Amino acid sequence: MDRIAELLWQRLRDPAVRLVLAASAAAALAVVCLVGWSAQPDRFSRGFAPAQPIPFSHRLHAGSLAIPCQHCHSGADRSRSAGVPSLEICMGCHKVTRIKSPPIRKLASLYESGGSLAWKRVHSLPGHVFFDHRPHVSAGIACQTCHGPVQDMAVLRQDMSLRMSHCLSCHRDPKAALPAGSAIARGPENCYACHR
Amino acid sequence: MAEPIEPDLSRREFLGVLGASAALAAGCSRPDRGEIVPFDKRPAGARPGNADLYASAFQEGLSAYGVLVKTREGRPIHVQGNDKHPSCAGKTSLRAMADIMGLYDPGRLRRPLVKGRPASWDQARGRLLSDLLGARAERRPVLLMTNALLSPTRRALVAALGKALPGLKHAVREPACGGAEAAALKACYGDARRPRLRLDRAKVMLALEVELLSGDRPEEIKGFAANRGEGSMSRLYAFEAGMSLTGANADHRVPWKPSRAAALGFALARALHQSGRPLPAGVADSVLAGFDLEALAKEQGADPALLRALAEDLKRAGSSALVVAGPALPPQAHAAAFLLNTMLGAEGSTVDASISPPAEELAGDEESSRFLLEAAQGRFAAAVFWGVNPAYAFPDAALWDSSAAAIPLKARIGRTLDETARACDIVLPEHHWLESWNDFEPSSDLLLLQQPAVAPLYDTRQGDDVLLDLLRGLGGGAPLDYRSYLMERWRREVQPASSLLPFERFWSSALHDGALRREAASRPPRRLDGAAVTKLARQTGAPAASGFELILSPGANVFDGRYADNGWLQELPDPVTKLSWGNAVCVSPADAVRLGLADGDIVELSAGGVEVELPAVVQPGQAPGTLGAALGYGRRAGSVAAGVGVNLFPMLAGSGAAGLLLPDTELQKTGCRTALPFIQRHHKMEGRDIARSITLAKSRQPRLTHSKDLATLYPPRKFPKHKWAMAVDLSLCTGCQACAVSCQSENNVPVVGAERVLEGREMHWLRVDRYYEGPAENPKVLLQPMMCQQCDDAPCETVCPVAATNHSDEGLNQMAYNRCVGTRYCANNCPYKVRRFNFFEYNAQTPESRRLAFNPEVTVRPRGVMEKCTFCVQRIQEAKAAARSAGRALRDGDIEPACAAACPAGAIVFGDLKDPASRVSRLAARGRGYRVLEELGVKPSVTYLADLSNPAGDRDAS
Repeated sequence: MDRIAELLWQRLRDPAVRLVLAASAAAALAVVCLVGWSAQPDRFSRGFAPAQPIPFSHRLHAGSLAIPCQHCHSGADRSRSAGVPSLEICMGCHKVTRIKSPPIRKLASLYESGGSLAWKRVHSLPGHVFFDHRPHVSAGIACQTCHGPVQDMAVLRQDMSLRMSHCLSCHRDPKAALPAGSAIARGPENCYACHR
Repeated sequence: MAEPIEPDLSRREFLGVLGASAALAAGCSRPDRGEIVPFDKRPAGARPGNADLYASAFQEGLSAYGVLVKTREGRPIHVQGNDKHPSCAGKTSLRAMADIMGLYDPGRLRRPLVKGRPASWDQARGRLLSDLLGARAERRPVLLMTNALLSPTRRALVAALGKALPGLKHAVREPACGGAEAAALKACYGDARRPRLRLDRAKVMLALEVELLSGDRPEEIKGFAANRGEGSMSRLYAFEAGMSLTGANADHRVPWKPSRAAALGFALARALHQSGRPLPAGVADSVLAGFDLEALAKEQGADPALLRALAEDLKRAGSSALVVAGPALPPQAHAAAFLLNTMLGAEGSTVDASISPPAEELAGDEESSRFLLEAAQGRFAAAVFWGVNPAYAFPDAALWDSSAAAIPLKARIGRTLDETARACDIVLPEHHWLESWNDFEPSSDLLLLQQPAVAPLYDTRQGDDVLLDLLRGLGGGAPLDYRSYLMERWRREVQPASSLLPFERFWSSALHDGALRREAASRPPRRLDGAAVTKLARQTGAPAASGFELILSPGANVFDGRYADNGWLQELPDPVTKLSWGNAVCVSPADAVRLGLADGDIVELSAGGVEVELPAVVQPGQAPGTLGAALGYGRRAGSVAAGVGVNLFPMLAGSGAAGLLLPDTELQKTGCRTALPFIQRHHKMEGRDIARSITLAKSRQPRLTHSKDLATLYPPRKFPKHKWAMAVDLSLCTGCQACAVSCQSENNVPVVGAERVLEGREMHWLRVDRYYEGPAENPKVLLQPMMCQQCDDAPCETVCPVAATNHSDEGLNQMAYNRCVGTRYCANNCPYKVRRFNFFEYNAQTPESRRLAFNPEVTVRPRGVMEKCTFCVQRIQEAKAAARSAGRALRDGDIEPACAAACPAGAIVFGDLKDPASRVSRLAARGRGYRVLEELGVKPSVTYLADLSNPAGDRDAS
């Protein structure tokens, strides 16, 4: 045994071996970090803020101008999807407002030519999840509960993870999200509430 | 149809992809999540995420139905009945629901073809128009062959075209409808209007070789169901050769040779006359002298007492009796039925001709043959085949070939490149009915409006628009499109002069409802021509032939072959034989023993010099000496239809004028065998009380179900808010399978194909089981819709190793596809065999266009996952959300699963057991309520109500 230990010790004095060992350790650490980082649950969700075809600012519209969310996202209490406003809604104001600015000109020309405006989707759920805005909005839950402080975002980004644990934590204890005095004690925890 | 997918990634490629995706994941890019494209201007009422319903209408054969088309984001995903069509009241033909597949059929033509080459509409139209102009100049006739038009506006258009093109010969073909009934109506009443059968008014019904209760007769099923409960119970007698759903639901079914149906009718008339019912004017009693009930009973091996009871019942029911003869029967049998109805006073009561629209002149095989013979002699300058498919469905193929060769220009208006389109020079692709405008007149007090539910998917045009365009080209003044033509006619002829509404309001309200009730001009009651009946009665005699009597009927699902390209309808089994993907000839058990036949033996049928080989099925209840087979199979073209089953239209060439009945057919065993894709392979209940049937008298006795609670190891389940449950009344269910089609459409259920059905791997979430009880010569038939029973103590839940299936606190047995790892333990442990395993990537293989028919509210399941009925949980959630956003509580009836919504009989009721006043609670508490395999202690949520029968002589009944 002693002989083997001695041999190993001798090898370790070899600078080349030391370099290889150190490099391997560093590489192993790097792999662990990389895998850990890339596999973190919210890796692809939180902070996603793609560039939009028109640099629409929620900070300006929902924040400074304090336009209510449902003025534009009028499906929120009437449909499963809140919906993105039709160009007509935008043009309601922008026929007269800031008509010289290039993005508004782009908007107006799209509207007049009957072209279509393709916004980049920011919030999305997997195909096996069936989320319905109606019960959440009619329960009085603020949009910001899931969408984050949209009124402060110049570029819309996903603020919450929108993972199942996120949904369930609120369904189990919705008090913080509900308006004071709400009669709702819990949200459903059935599989079929969201998956079918 | 899906084939097993070979993995298309080798291991090396897989590792490569894995490495590449790992590298991508480690990088800084985030996957794109797609785009959201909003409306430029949102139409009022259109809201992404919500379903829209459009009222429209569906036509097939000689019937039209009002339907509601459910669309999501602009694409039709489901069809259901429109309750503004009063006689169908929210129900429709199963083919109306299934034909949504036709809209998304990948085999649809996308542009016109001239001589097989893609062409523009201008080229195709120019070619056709110049030939028509040439024909007009030369005064040569032009042939227009269509299906039944059924639409007053379309009829006006064809008439206008006939004026602009004087040589136009219009032939209306419905190859599977038979002409005997129309011929008899014409002979006996002078008018071929088909009366409406009021089964809801009928107390005693006699069905002679007629299918009244199949999925394409919602009106009759609804009427029948009106009198099949404890409160009011009718009695149905069926005399038939093959086993039909009518026979299966009859209180008395008698195997009877079709050639003797007329004799039975006249013998009954004689018995009624002898007991004091007067004969109508012109019918001499001497003509009935030869028909004797006792002798007939002896000849057909029936119980004479039963025939006497039938005569007695009919007499007692009087104007509440109804006698119907089937389309395959010769005119004599129809005349006998007319005579009986007249003698009983049923005319005007259960047989209502007062609001029948004018009948269309159908060109039978004989008349069509004459046209084609003329064509073969080079008489026609051109021919337009619209909808009809004579290259497939015309019996005399040689005559079709020679006439097709002799017509200089053949044009086809149709949806796919089918047999006729292949034979034509110009092929004009047609809109699907969900892309079309039209009106239909199912009765003279009702007009249905058909409106597009989607913009045309391809560069197609409506057939009517093509004719309109030709009309304009021929110099007839006409508006630019058929919609304007339709509106103009409605403005002129439909809006009542007394109406104060502006036409636009009148039109949009009719369009919204999809139906317009009108004052029907009252017609004097029709009079039976006694002399004609006498003449037909004189022609009724015993058949001299020694061979089998073969009845050909339109396929229960594929009709005359026009729906053969529909995977849903191919996989939906025949409601009685339970054979999917093809047709077979039904042989009686006695004949099968005599000839040594078993299911799947290939036999050769020959009649009138035509020979056809097809597999045989031994059909319990089939009358000895008779055979039955379905038309509509054996298509040569079509991505789904080609090569499925055997084309039996050629057999009709041997039948001559007799229509769908071939009185002298030879059957020979060939010695070959084939495996038949049956959906149900075992036909007996083996002593277990699965589908129950009791007589009306017995139903008055106390409850028949197990009442004591069985011991259980599980703690009782608590349902704090709702407990969803279903009740299925087997007394109302006729086994038509409309529920199964509706379920398939609603729940994205895949089609697996014949090969997989042979392995027992069909995927239907809801099936209709059919059991035979009693002697094979004439068994009692029990029909039972079977879906997930949503057991409270579900045996599937306890064996799932990953808890993918578990129980909700609303009483649903939930299936979370994303958790399922595919062990199939659950299916193994399910006593009802309602769990279905997705063995292959059926959905991933679905062609792009067909995917548009998917319901976006239901997961499209991948391979390796178990799936089953969910009680349409998406509809439950939708109703809850809608009620909540309307600020009201959920009401009984708010939720209607697809099966219940489609059931013409109203046999399926869904609701909340926690609400003691709900319909389902009341039904579940009924005396004849029971749960299937209750003795297992699994506590199913589905209550079946035992079938009620009302046989003659049942004590203290009626």
